[in-house]
Amino acid sequence: MNRTLSSPSPEAFGTDPWKTRIDRTFARALVLPLVLAIGLLVLLLGDTLYRSVSVQVVRADEGPGRTYPFGLAATEVLRQELLARGYTEEEARSLLQDPTERRVLFLQNRVELMWNTQEGPFRYVVTGLRDERVADFSLLEGLRRWEELKAGLGEGERLVLNPWLDQSFLTRTPSRSPLTAGIGVAIWGTIWVLSLALLIAIPVGIGTAILLEEYLREGTLNRILEVNLRNLAGVPSIVYGLLGLAIFVREMGLGPTILSAALTLGLLGIPVIVVTARESLRAVPESLRQAAFALGATRRQVVFRVVVPAALPGMVTGVILSAARLIGEAAPLLLVGAAAYVPFYPTGPLSEYTVIPVQIYLWVSMNIPEFARVAAAGILVMLLVLSGLYFLALYLRNRFRREW
Amino acid sequence: MVSLEMLKEHETVRTAPVSEAEALVDVRGLSLWYGKKQALYDISVRFPRNQVTAIIGPSGCGKSTLLRSLNRMNDLVPGVRVEGEVLYEGVNIYDPRVDPVAVRRHIGMVFQKPNPFPKTIFENVAFGLRLMGVKGSELEDRVVEALKRAALWNEVQDRFKKESGLRLSGGQQQRLCIARAIAVEPPLLLMDEPTSALDPIATQAIEDLIQELKTRYTVVIVTHNMQQAARVSDRTLFMHLGVLVEEGPTEVLFTKPKHPYTEAYITGRFG
Amino acid sequence: MEILKQRPSRNPKEVLTFALLVFLSSITLLTTLGVILSLVGDVAQFFRRVPLTEFLFAPEWTPLFADPRYGISPLIAGTFLVTLIALLVAVPLGLALAIYLSEYASGAARARIKGTLELFEGIPTVVFGYFALLFVTPLLQRVIPDLNIFNPLSAGLVMGFAIIPYISNVAADAMESVPRSIREAAYALGARPYEVALRVVFPAAISGIIAAIILATSRAIGETMIVAIAAGQRPILTLDPRETIATMTSYIVQAATGDQPTGSTGFYALFAVGFTLFLLTLFLNILAQYVVERYRERYE
Ligand SMILES: Nc1ncnc2c1ncn2[C@@H]1O[C@H](COP(=O)(O)OP(=O)(O)OP(=O)(O)O)[C@@H](O)[C@H]1O
Ligand SMILES: [Mg+2]
Repeated sequence: MNRTLSSPSPEAFGTDPWKTRIDRTFARALVLPLVLAIGLLVLLLGDTLYRSVSVQVVRADEGPGRTYPFGLAATEVLRQELLARGYTEEEARSLLQDPTERRVLFLQNRVELMWNTQEGPFRYVVTGLRDERVADFSLLEGLRRWEELKAGLGEGERLVLNPWLDQSFLTRTPSRSPLTAGIGVAIWGTIWVLSLALLIAIPVGIGTAILLEEYLREGTLNRILEVNLRNLAGVPSIVYGLLGLAIFVREMGLGPTILSAALTLGLLGIPVIVVTARESLRAVPESLRQAAFALGATRRQVVFRVVVPAALPGMVTGVILSAARLIGEAAPLLLVGAAAYVPFYPTGPLSEYTVIPVQIYLWVSMNIPEFARVAAAGILVMLLVLSGLYFLALYLRNRFRREW
Repeated sequence: MVSLEMLKEHETVRTAPVSEAEALVDVRGLSLWYGKKQALYDISVRFPRNQVTAIIGPSGCGKSTLLRSLNRMNDLVPGVRVEGEVLYEGVNIYDPRVDPVAVRRHIGMVFQKPNPFPKTIFENVAFGLRLMGVKGSELEDRVVEALKRAALWNEVQDRFKKESGLRLSGGQQQRLCIARAIAVEPPLLLMDEPTSALDPIATQAIEDLIQELKTRYTVVIVTHNMQQAARVSDRTLFMHLGVLVEEGPTEVLFTKPKHPYTEAYITGRFG
Repeated sequence: MEILKQRPSRNPKEVLTFALLVFLSSITLLTTLGVILSLVGDVAQFFRRVPLTEFLFAPEWTPLFADPRYGISPLIAGTFLVTLIALLVAVPLGLALAIYLSEYASGAARARIKGTLELFEGIPTVVFGYFALLFVTPLLQRVIPDLNIFNPLSAGLVMGFAIIPYISNVAADAMESVPRSIREAAYALGARPYEVALRVVFPAAISGIIAAIILATSRAIGETMIVAIAAGQRPILTLDPRETIATMTSYIVQAATGDQPTGSTGFYALFAVGFTLFLLTLFLNILAQYVVERYRERYE
């Protein structure tokens, strides 16, 4: 470049078109990762949604494969179904009136709303436990061949556009058959394990954060705890699973139970909660502590009457986000019993259990296309729960944001 | 340039010294170190009862440090070391048997920037009272009383139980902090540049308040503003580089300073 | 003075509170102790049965064969392969994102991008595993016909995206802490924004950037669900990204979910692999901290 200061024209300062272009390209290229990441998210969600709906030809186990108009009461649907199966009016009525029989009937035959059937949109069908799938088509293919499939329906078969994620999916137990597999047991497993884990992780995590931020800002114990926490945070979660397996499951003899899982997950959650709790404690201005000390508050009174209340919204947000992280953890729990086939609801801390992400893992690794649909439905449930928590945290963060 | 060595050679210049009987606080040979750095050099001074004493001096001279050693707030700074005595009603508050928390319950403090708790106005003022175990209607009465004495009651009486202290204006916040400090009836009130974050009108209100307060309390106030010191205080201390250079009645210090540095400072000829 | 005789800070409540806090935080220390103890005991059992030389140097990992061999190298190779692929994705993307965050994005955009990243971090890895196996692999199979259903390629690619936030967050923090004055000095010399970013800020923040990459490596090595689902569970010694492989983590999952009788060598092998994994990630974490401490530029 040849710049001559004597020349008065603006060009004399010299623009380098080449460099300008690099500059612009560079700035644009930097946005690429973001675009890719968002693209990936969109694809992921799209794939999950798409996979969670399919067009199926189902052969009813006992019944005739009829569908019923939307708007009927469930009992009425079931009554008509029984009649169609060949029960007399009398038998059907007595079955439906006896509370025990009625309960069994409803457990074995679920009245499900289908988005579309061969007889039109939004119809009820009665799904038996041993209904058999004849064919399963992706949404596009199924809709394209709808008429053809409808024409080819055999005796006792029905054509349905099935949303795999429906209300009964949330309450069904796992099953060897994808049609009747549900996530109910895993949801309750997650609720149990998570609540017990938080019962451990919250006091320990917040207690440690308070100790480090309010009592021991320096000194040997502070350094030991701090180094230890930093390294713990880097330990892969599956190693916590090995710890749980060795200590809780075997050494303490708790077995593959909710309690073992909760202890394992609780330990895993501690470093995360410590980090978020420390951040919110640090955000409390020093001047508040000074004010409280000047009024003659003891350390404990300063911490628990002033600092902790002021940091509470931040801590709650942090705990919610940590809980969201823990919900998604599958690896450590695979080692402490969550991989078992558990077809019944947990009844207490010593029940066997499974949790949502592990259930999804099990479904995915079955390597059967229809179970992939079940897995997609499970993923939708989990993502819904997580986004609920995420937005709750966001809301709390904004609602209680303080300007000091 | 003023050097520390030159300053340390001279005794503090005292005009009309305070007698032992008049003094609420008697500082004797106080030195203080932050780690290795010495911040106060052998300070001796008496603060008379029911008077306002101002501490002035250039930035970093140790005004806040001296003030904060009167209620042992400096104990909270890691690595602080103190020598000498601070006698409060004849009791050395640095005696190992004295609990700094007890000292602070007895001495009020107001800070440079208003620092209300993120609680209601009521809870702010009630904080110190609750620490002392005051409850029920007595608590309520004393909160109202403190708000009245801090000249805030009229502005907040209709909302003081609901509204957060943080929602007040800066000047109101500072009066809230004063109310909070005086609610426990501390015989001594320490104020560290209480108006430096406020506008002139709010400052005026606080200064008026200080005049009021002195009938019941002993006040020590740090200020950067010499007019303020002249307006509100009965006695003034001039510090420099951690040394107490001169002390005496305010009008003497401002009109007939005896030490050349004091004169240089108050006439604005200071380096 | 009556009140000065009181000793509120010696109140039993004060002491008890402090003791309680110390007790609670000691649980974090016990956790570390637990991790080490739980691993060490079973690892010792393992090495009583399998010589260390076999573990380190044998080229096969076949615990279920009639004549079992316990050489960890196939698992290490598998881990290495997946991690490498993940880093090939995550390092350029993560660093570009970090530069964008620290040098180009306005305050509002930065907050929004960080929010998106937080969202990304919050997605359970089992979901990424599902995506790798059921979406990415079929897609890749159209391009690479002899790609196995289970392969490190798609697992690594997806994992690369999953660890982007780990790189970009740490690296952006490091770059943001480079003082303004240095940037302004460069601009004053006539540098363009990209030159400032690449020649000034990037080198100044290099220790933080390296630490970010090391931490992400450690994450990738310890990541379990994506590989367990999408990369397969067949330990063979290969670096071919089309083959089904096993990593240390996926082996642990396989062994733990299969029926390994407690007390068998295969069972203890689980802990030997876990311990190796633990040591490796611990080493990387300490290395990252060391790099940050040692090479941090100090600005006044
Ligand atoms: N916490 C601390 N740690 C170390 N040194 C300190 C600390 N607080 C104050 N100092 C030092 O002690 C000296 C006196 O500080 P102090 O705050 O008392 O001054 P000041 O007169 O109040 O100044 P200003 O008018 O700016 O408030 C200063 O040199 C300061 O740097
Ligand atoms: Mg000061």
